[in-house]
Amino acid sequence: MRRVYIAGASLVKVDEYWGESLDSLVSQLADGFSGLALRKIDAVYVANMLGEVLQSQANLGALVAEDLGLAGVAAFRVEAGEASGLAALHAGYQSIRAGLADTVLVLGVEKLSDASPEEAMATSSLSERYDYVGFQGVPQPAIASMMYNQYLKRFEVPQEMVAQFPVMMHEHAAKSPHSQYQFKITLESVLSSPFVSEPLRRLECAGIGDGAAAVLLCSSDALSTIRHDEVVELAGSACSTDIVFPFDREDPLRLGAASRAFEEALARAGVARRDIRVLEIHDSYSILACLLLESIGLSEPGRSGVDLKKGKYSLAGEVAVNTFGGLKARGHPAGATGVYQAAEVYLQLTGRAGECQVDGAKVGAALNLAGLGSCVFASVMKVRDV
Amino acid sequence: MDCGAIHHYRARRCRRCGSTRTGEDPLPERGRLVAFTTVRVPLQGYENNAPYPVGIIEFDDGTKILATITDCEPEDLKEGMIMERVFRKIADDGDSGIIIYGFKFRPVVTQGK
Repeated sequence: MRRVYIAGASLVKVDEYWGESLDSLVSQLADGFSGLALRKIDAVYVANMLGEVLQSQANLGALVAEDLGLAGVAAFRVEAGEASGLAALHAGYQSIRAGLADTVLVLGVEKLSDASPEEAMATSSLSERYDYVGFQGVPQPAIASMMYNQYLKRFEVPQEMVAQFPVMMHEHAAKSPHSQYQFKITLESVLSSPFVSEPLRRLECAGIGDGAAAVLLCSSDALSTIRHDEVVELAGSACSTDIVFPFDREDPLRLGAASRAFEEALARAGVARRDIRVLEIHDSYSILACLLLESIGLSEPGRSGVDLKKGKYSLAGEVAVNTFGGLKARGHPAGATGVYQAAEVYLQLTGRAGECQVDGAKVGAALNLAGLGSCVFASVMKVRDV
Repeated sequence: MDCGAIHHYRARRCRRCGSTRTGEDPLPERGRLVAFTTVRVPLQGYENNAPYPVGIIEFDDGTKILATITDCEPEDLKEGMIMERVFRKIADDGDSGIIIYGFKFRPVVTQGK
């Protein structure tokens, strides 16, 4: 089977760009690839969740190809809710593995600041079943809150153990130039922020941000023929789904799709869970960080907070989690988020993570969720020859 | 019928095992509140209702359903409470649109209240 490599990455700072459009964000992104052979791209996969809702714009494949001066190339949009980013990466991985392309640009772009706060709340719930959940006026954070409540009760964990996750995310983001919220927050401020729905508080939720990020994928053949940047291997990528509504699952606190996608990506990559040194996870709500780390077996059920407290997930810990601040603090531009995750793992493995650098990182992974774990993509990257 | 799963919606095909051998039972009138929260940041179109409690009701057969909770204050709610089904307006679709009705659940009123 052909190997797939990431041979370059570009990202713009996640922010609220009132004066920019999807097109201008894409154009800024292309500057980050100066010197790379964008002209020789075989396909462009555009990750985006909300273009037709917020910008009245579908068909982003053709738009982005034109914006990049690549009209003519194979290009289309990939949408898998909030997991669109790693879904597009997965599409690129598949086409190179299958021999249908040698160079693929995976590009995520999203502009959430065009939404009013009410619209943003509505978009955050689009990945749930509308005819069951949205129709009744139940927003996604309310479902996350009920999972959170069950978690605190079942494992007899104080809320501080969960609420310290956003604190760590902001610590990491404070050192990262491309993160949206480059400042620290305290546990007290998290626990005194207003409720979104009990027990979930405002500072435990990702905010609203715009962003664009891209990675350049290559086959080994292409590496010898095009100009490229430093290279890491995209060694495994996988997807799994679950029953959409968490309380319809066997156990609402077990994210089975995350577990399955992660195991499959590891198996494809031929690496063990203990080899992973950098992990980007989907912490749109603090509780999801706990459930993810426990569902993929890095922490025992109910113990992720204890592990965090012991330093296991810090930049110097056993597995550095969300090294640039994750969804909470790097920012969560919906469909683009997964591409940020992939680009960030690439920066870590190529030693270009600046103050967020994890020493000796050779293997990294990313987990990107749609809904509350109903569709999950996992990808595993490693430095060459590991 | 094949895998024994019970869904709270009409299902031509079982969402657990894919079987098309499905039947229908009436939705029970009463169930137990197993999880709940209060929506303080509402969805678009439900602003006038906020804050509103929502919860998961479990029936005797183990089926769970998500529902809005009505006729009570959020602080009256406790896990394990018996809840009953009531027919209510869910939302309306503007001045000229249709009014949307559906089920909500409310605590069964106990003695002394």
